[in-house]
Amino acid sequence: MKSISLYVDNGSFLTKVHPFTKLMYIAAAVSVPLLLGRLWAFPCLIAASLCLLAAGGVLKKALPLIAFSFTILITIFLIHGLFNQNNATVLVSLGPLRFYREGLLYALRIGFNIMNMLLSFAVLVLTTRPSDLVEELEKRGFSQRFGYIINSVFQIVPQMTGTMNTITDAQRSRGLETEGSLSTRAKAFLPLISPVVMSSLINTRERAIALEVRGFGSGRKKTWLREREKHRGDSAATIALGILIAVALVFRIAEMIRA
Amino acid sequence: MKLFKTKFDAAVIVLIPACIGINYLGKLFAQLLKLPLWLDSIGTCIGGCLGGPVIGAICGAANNLIYGFTTGDSITLVYALTSLGIGVAAGIMARLGFMQSFPKAILTACVAGLTAVVISTPLNIIFWGGTTGNVWGDAVFAATQAAGMPVALGSLIDEVVVDVPDKLITLIVVFFILKGLPKKLTALYEADAAVERLD
Repeated sequence: MKSISLYVDNGSFLTKVHPFTKLMYIAAAVSVPLLLGRLWAFPCLIAASLCLLAAGGVLKKALPLIAFSFTILITIFLIHGLFNQNNATVLVSLGPLRFYREGLLYALRIGFNIMNMLLSFAVLVLTTRPSDLVEELEKRGFSQRFGYIINSVFQIVPQMTGTMNTITDAQRSRGLETEGSLSTRAKAFLPLISPVVMSSLINTRERAIALEVRGFGSGRKKTWLREREKHRGDSAATIALGILIAVALVFRIAEMIRA
Repeated sequence: MKLFKTKFDAAVIVLIPACIGINYLGKLFAQLLKLPLWLDSIGTCIGGCLGGPVIGAICGAANNLIYGFTTGDSITLVYALTSLGIGVAAGIMARLGFMQSFPKAILTACVAGLTAVVISTPLNIIFWGGTTGNVWGDAVFAATQAAGMPVALGSLIDEVVVDVPDKLITLIVVFFILKGLPKKLTALYEADAAVERLD
């Protein structure tokens, strides 16, 4: 069964950093360029995320994420480069197509923003076990019921994809066509999805009873399975990132007052 | 009957991850069959119809937050708001009795679809400059831009073209699934159910 999480346990320093420090990094990486409002701030933070990913030994794992967003980025560049409302100055013309400076700049800003978000999230996603993040949240008072919801998604999804493969094979062996024209494929959707959905909904009843029997609804204080090793520099890094956001915010306010 | 009344017992807590899993499956099947729709809110609508608007909202928001924070697809994070809206819309409509017959379910689908359009369009403009990432919708968007329409209008049409059919099919699937569920299961989620004591 394949997990949906992208976490790689390679023992690098990034896996030992506290999940909250990485969350703070995301907050800083996403908000600082937007607050500064300067185009050069985006590549700076994209480079920072890339360096972190490389230092954590997960740069290769981040490539599929970037590749996935590339097709969408190309559409944005095409549409805005060719048709943006503010287009006035022609930058390049390829045959009948004319790419305009204004549209391309607008697309560049959106593209940088998307890359920046993707990469800063990759720093967290590729180096943190989801259940660790949930457990740390619960230790700080996050609802344990919600913690359960999050953790059980990671158990349920691989199970359901397993059932899905079984049902796809079963329906195919009965002669259901899953390839061909759009209408054939659309017709196959309901017979494929409804058995999986039905069985997983019916399973929830038994899961609920099993949980109740084990004291899920009890109000007693619960203990933790894992103790987290302290990692040096976590609080220092968090404070530094907080100061960075504050500086960017002050810069923005000062700029607004001057204007 | 209270519109937003919600139970929070183990049965409902277990329903939420199942719904999030169903969302994931819908998306997977749509990719497998290469359908030009997302179909990734089937679970959210089931959650909303069974547990009410609050559970629908939690299913929708948790769905996007969990996938955003764990599969690295940070783009979906932004659309947590849209999913939340779809869950609330489906939940309210179901509580008002609009999931009992097929024509009423179609109306629910339109409401959910338009909710999604209203919430997604500003997000599309802010984060993507108006495109939706769906081939057909973006072709329409490109056409509106070439015709000189403003970005907001083009993006709105782009969303309507994609989201309304998507939610229509989603809610039809949900309608038939809910019809087929055994009563002993659906009875677990009825917020108005009264406990009768025998002693």
